[in-house]
Amino acid sequence: MDMTFVTNLLLASVHMATPLIFLALAELYSQRAGLVHIGIEGLAAIGSLTGFLVSYISGSPMTGMFLGALMGILVNMIYAYATITLCAEQTVYGMIINIFALALASFIYRVYFGAGASLAQVNLMSTLSSALGITSDNFFVELLLDQTLMVYLAYGLVLFTAVYFNKTKSGLNYKAVGEYPKAAATLGINVIGVKYVASIICGALAGMGGAYLTTCYSTTYVDGNVAGRGFIALAAVIFGRWSAGGVLLACLFFGFCDALQIRLQISGSSMPYQFFQMIPYIATVAVLTLIGAKKAGPKGAGKPYRKEER
Amino acid sequence: MEELLRMEHITKRFGDVYANRDIDLEVRKGEVHTLLGENGAGKSTLMNVLFGLYQPTEGSIYLRGQKVRIDSPAQAVRLGIGMVHQHFMLVEAMTVFENIILGDKNTKGIFIDKEARKKEIVELSERYGLDVELDKPVTEIAVGAQQRVEILKALYRGAELLVLDEPSAALTDLEVEGLFRMMGKLKEEGKSVIFISHKMREVMRISDRITILRDGRTIRTLDREATTGEELADLMIGRELVPSQYVKVEQAGEPVIALREVDYHKTSKHNGLNGVTLTVGRGEVVGIAGVDGNGQSQLAQVVTGVIAPDAGSVDMKGSTVAQFTPNGFILENVSHIPEDRNKMGLVGDMSVKDNIVLKATGDPRFSAAKGFFLKKKAIRDHALAIQKKYDIRCASIDQEARNLSGGNQQKIILAREMESQPDLLVAVHPTRGLDIGAASFIHDVMIEARDRGCGVLLISADFDEILEVSDRIVVMFEGQVMGEFSGKEPPIDQISLAMAGK
Repeated sequence: MDMTFVTNLLLASVHMATPLIFLALAELYSQRAGLVHIGIEGLAAIGSLTGFLVSYISGSPMTGMFLGALMGILVNMIYAYATITLCAEQTVYGMIINIFALALASFIYRVYFGAGASLAQVNLMSTLSSALGITSDNFFVELLLDQTLMVYLAYGLVLFTAVYFNKTKSGLNYKAVGEYPKAAATLGINVIGVKYVASIICGALAGMGGAYLTTCYSTTYVDGNVAGRGFIALAAVIFGRWSAGGVLLACLFFGFCDALQIRLQISGSSMPYQFFQMIPYIATVAVLTLIGAKKAGPKGAGKPYRKEER
Repeated sequence: MEELLRMEHITKRFGDVYANRDIDLEVRKGEVHTLLGENGAGKSTLMNVLFGLYQPTEGSIYLRGQKVRIDSPAQAVRLGIGMVHQHFMLVEAMTVFENIILGDKNTKGIFIDKEARKKEIVELSERYGLDVELDKPVTEIAVGAQQRVEILKALYRGAELLVLDEPSAALTDLEVEGLFRMMGKLKEEGKSVIFISHKMREVMRISDRITILRDGRTIRTLDREATTGEELADLMIGRELVPSQYVKVEQAGEPVIALREVDYHKTSKHNGLNGVTLTVGRGEVVGIAGVDGNGQSQLAQVVTGVIAPDAGSVDMKGSTVAQFTPNGFILENVSHIPEDRNKMGLVGDMSVKDNIVLKATGDPRFSAAKGFFLKKKAIRDHALAIQKKYDIRCASIDQEARNLSGGNQQKIILAREMESQPDLLVAVHPTRGLDIGAASFIHDVMIEARDRGCGVLLISADFDEILEVSDRIVVMFEGQVMGEFSGKEPPIDQISLAMAGK
């Protein structure tokens, strides 16, 4: 195994981890407000399609990213209204988002491009080094500069989230909503408001995570391109013990597994490539089994908040 | 003294049930005003209306002479109303400090200025003698300390009117003294306290004025000086309180359950049993007296089959028990009123009806094919009959059990456990937190069961309750039996000494 294999692997890990970071942060913000969201996969799918379509039409991946986030928010409002205002079952509506948004994305793609049309392609967001005109294959230059704006944004968001939840008054109030909404309400915190804000943040981040796949990662859109990342993000939040730092490490780990499987697939081994494809998922199952049962998440997660409950 | 708060014609309805009906309440500046009433009289509902958690169906609230609309707790806090709820509103995952500053709107800035906030809180806690450890997680501090945190939360937000909803229920005598000192200090500063309680001794000691609620209505407001505990009790339950003197049984029937030299985690002083020998016969009430946490919980668990003893033997109706399983004991016709009604006694999310029938679903009266098909109609009829017989007050038998008041929840458990006509009834703190009316009802049912030939094992930290109903009193201390005394003319001095381990 040579050095390039290792450096390439590490670089790829960072690439693969970025969409996961967006999706896992989406889940984190949702759960911290007491909303367990299993529909991240669906939100990412619609974000991915929107990002692709908009950057195809406008030629600007940045606009695609922006509208992808907007679409994520829009679709997530269905979930928010049902679970927050109507106090519906969160799991059920998460699943509904998965089914609905995935199908919607696929439908829009067919309507726009027609069935069996040639594969449409878009330009990807440019990296910082190419924007600055730096060309170097030094590992550190590549790691630090040969990245799109979204990568920096992802890490910036992790830092922001860590500070927000641990150091700010607003973050403390936010967490209280997820832990014990009634107590939060008695302290004058607007529980319903926080939950809606959480859903907006969640929708935006999930939409961006999805749009990342078609504006920064792959030039084409195919159905199912999110490929379970929404669920891996859910696992990453649990693995990361509901903290921003933990979630980052978990995403890097899963990103590494993803990168590893691609590297191994193209390494020319005689093993069927499907076995390598299983690596990220097996890692997810293994990790969840290992840390499994000990629930340390927000105590109020999954339960509806009813105002005048006795 | 000038008026601080006036609530006029407050009515609050939940569906068809009136929790408050045309209630008037006036609280003056610098007074301790007690709300007295039985469970379900509407005290907590009224306070939740005041605190903006419920919207009144009708009526208006005046604060310092101004009409106010309190549509959220945030609004109540802004108006200077603080409330310590009966069930603490503490976020378990956070520290004491974080719980106190949560939702704070008085300070500017985005970040938490820990040092400055801590200084303020320490000052406050010293002023009112509310000693707390700020950096501990709230789960690691005792109940008394949690309550001090709740009070600090209210005072930190600048409460001028502090509502304390049954604050003394979970406190030790020493902590109650501290609570009263704090209330005195608030009074000195011209702040007002609404104190909710049904402990007559405390009410007579701390209150300036007392408003009595019954069945969701105001009965009367009295000055403490102009009344007596007896008068208050009469007004509260709406009838003369007859000191029910049960006839004590001196000769019990054959033993239902007999423990011989039972050990369970014997070295643990507070959560173990050490060589316990105890018999409960048919037709007698054996009361286990002792300070809470001297092995009573473990004793209850052994005699209901939840845990198996490490050593010793247990005889059930003459034959030795080999397998300790709750179901085995239920089949032996053992009934259990557990110590924590919410966690162990009821399924809160299930209806009153379903909770009543929970243990008897296999009974051919309620189901065909051993619980495979439920006979809905029969269950409903049975539940309605039970509701009537045990006077369970609820909007409907389809209401979720967790929405009922404590006394009515306990009656559901009692009904379910007594309907199987048990041979042994194990009752653990059966009247804890209940008012006089509900408590004496539960005692009546226990005595009735005894007279039918059921053996009753009563475990209670309430010494008066033990004296009231026990035919035989067994004292436990640090997992050991310290002595056995007759329930007829019990030697109080000796029992007290035994409870202290002497």
